[in-house]
Amino acid sequence: MKPAGKLLCCVVAAAALLAAQQFQFNLDHLAAKAKETVDISLSSAMLQFAAKFMDGNDPEEAQVKKLLNGITGIYVKSYEFKNDGAWAPADLDRVRNQLHAPQWARIIVVTSKEDGENAEVYVRSENQKMTGLAILVSEAKELTVVNIVGSIDLNSLADLGGHFGIPKIETPLPKK
Amino acid sequence: MDWLEEELKRALPRQEPAPGFAARVASRRSASVVPVRRWLAVAASVVVLAGGGVGYRWHQGIQAKEQVMTAVRIAGSKLNQVQSHVREVGR
Repeated sequence: MKPAGKLLCCVVAAAALLAAQQFQFNLDHLAAKAKETVDISLSSAMLQFAAKFMDGNDPEEAQVKKLLNGITGIYVKSYEFKNDGAWAPADLDRVRNQLHAPQWARIIVVTSKEDGENAEVYVRSENQKMTGLAILVSEAKELTVVNIVGSIDLNSLADLGGHFGIPKIETPLPKK
Repeated sequence: MDWLEEELKRALPRQEPAPGFAARVASRRSASVVPVRRWLAVAASVVVLAGGGVGYRWHQGIQAKEQVMTAVRIAGSKLNQVQSHVREVGR
């Protein structure tokens, strides 16, 4: 393939990924340094396909299946490093800079000087309807970025409290 | 013997088959059996391939489900961390 063709393919692939994902992670360069990497990209089609294989009689799978209603994408990148300082604050800044108003609103910020853990939760909304969630969690040896795309029903998410450690989020939704 | 039988005997005298007749019949018979076997083999292959396809699709589905569960677990655990920090601050 000619270089121009390759470039076009890359641009098309990136555009397709970004169309599904709500922001770019730009964290692939960390994979080489990481002890453990989790990279999950689940499009709407893949979520629908996976939902067909979920057992309705299994309480956990049934809850997740219910949660998937309205979700059109789940994207997770999680890196665990052997040593401190493997990731730079600029890595997270590149992600954070994309999560700005008016679409994105930061609803929770946690900064722990004790254990060096920082966490941020962002909510994306359009026409007063929640259309996405972003979670950024960083520790000295760990970095996790999550993007859940779609109309996330917080009540359904709250119902999952206790399952997989998903908490009941007591965050008021924007009034319609 | 009546005249008709005599006439038929004359018209249709006994003749020995040409040399190799028996072998030709046998080879044609085996040739007609081969396509049946071939079709059976093709049908069996189709069944195996279809079964393999279904199996592969099932495997893909289970993998996709595991990925979803992992993704939800990670997202959930991170949210849990955030909430526990918020609770600690609230105390």
